[in-house]
Amino acid sequence: MKLARLLILTLGALLAISGAVPLLKRILADTKPSVQLEVKNAQPREVEDVTQNAIVRDYTLAWQAIGTSLANNTLQPLNDNFAGFALDKLTQRVKDQKQNGLTTRIVDHGHKVEAIFYSPDGAAIELKDTASIETQVLDGGTVIHSDQAQIQYYAVMTGAEDRWKVRVLESTAK
Amino acid sequence: MRKVIYIGLVIALCWFAEDCARAAELHVPQNAVAGQPLSIGTSGSGTLYLIGPGQVIKRDFKSGGAVEIKGEELRSAGRWIAAVSGSSKESQVFWVKPGKPGRLNFLARPSRVPVARPNVISGVTFIFDQYQNLILDPTPVNFNLSVGGAGSSKSVTSREGVAWINSASAPKAGAAQFVASVDATTVTRVVQQVAADPCERSFHMHVAGHAGNRLIVETDPIRDCSGNPVPDGTIVTFIQTDKSGKSTVDSRIKKGTARAELPASDNATITMAAGVVLGNELHVGGK
Repeated sequence: MKLARLLILTLGALLAISGAVPLLKRILADTKPSVQLEVKNAQPREVEDVTQNAIVRDYTLAWQAIGTSLANNTLQPLNDNFAGFALDKLTQRVKDQKQNGLTTRIVDHGHKVEAIFYSPDGAAIELKDTASIETQVLDGGTVIHSDQAQIQYYAVMTGAEDRWKVRVLESTAK
Repeated sequence: MRKVIYIGLVIALCWFAEDCARAAELHVPQNAVAGQPLSIGTSGSGTLYLIGPGQVIKRDFKSGGAVEIKGEELRSAGRWIAAVSGSSKESQVFWVKPGKPGRLNFLARPSRVPVARPNVISGVTFIFDQYQNLILDPTPVNFNLSVGGAGSSKSVTSREGVAWINSASAPKAGAAQFVASVDATTVTRVVQQVAADPCERSFHMHVAGHAGNRLIVETDPIRDCSGNPVPDGTIVTFIQTDKSGKSTVDSRIKKGTARAELPASDNATITMAAGVVLGNELHVGGK
């Protein structure tokens, strides 16, 4: 009898874990997208190891900020990770979304990023990103658009006070 | 009973047909360009949302027809979503291309550079349309670096939105105009070209006189190897060595020359240096 109870308890626990693991993975995927950076084709300057690590860290944070800002219509995450034209555009998008009662949910399945240009003085880097992204646009609580696609982005990042910030972020048809 | 079912089916069919007739359909453009008007075909009635990378446009529409978007409204290039909500729901993705070049981001480095050095000035240009969209199509960019009307020009075709060059500094000192241009869009940066280190061939000093028990030494006008005067304020170090030891004086160039007062000595050797360049050696006193 005791053995049967233990067996049921174990099965229950396994069932709970099997449900929780994908959920946890999904949550982690939402909060921290994976970014793989390739730098061997960067010109005219070679990307230093320290810079590579910083770019991966800060580009990841930038995408995390996009997800948070578009889902909640908040600007602070953008201000921390974007500058210049990219900040202007994303800020306008969030304001327009808010005004029209829209939100955008992004499930980020990862980025394959290639550094294609690194300026001679090391102040700016251009990235070509193939992103795998699931997008849902909601009008109030109703989903009005949903798709999953591989999207190509070009990003220009420049060094700021304590991190690299995204200055340009543009999607393009492959 | 059969009649009732038949009537019910007919009603359901009519309802469905009416719904289909009112259902919105979307016809999104294939070649939209930022800054140019856009027409989106719809049918039925509802609300059209256009969700772009940097903006959202909302339009209510009734009884079908095309929804017209003005050129100045369509500012963001990239991936757009057109979604209809209303009697039915439909959405599609379409792309908007950037417009013509209208803005340049031009980074010129450094702001101050010695003359006649190879590959010391770099110019990087990112090309945008007037709505801040990066233009990824190859675009020729003209770079021109000139001092006092004389200079060099080079055309570089951009690749994935960026064009860059490395350039030598001119032999002549002065404020160089570094210009990047695409069609009628021009951006200018100033690179101050300053004289390089003093030229060893002409870096000479002589005894200029005595002041009490002090010896005054002065340099000839100090120039770099291209003949540009080395800027005032550059430090020249004079070192006098005699039996009592070593005396060092750091003097700044003033009006083209440097001058120092050293202790009078009956047998001393005086040397001078500016940066890594050594001047002539003077022997004073002695037999």
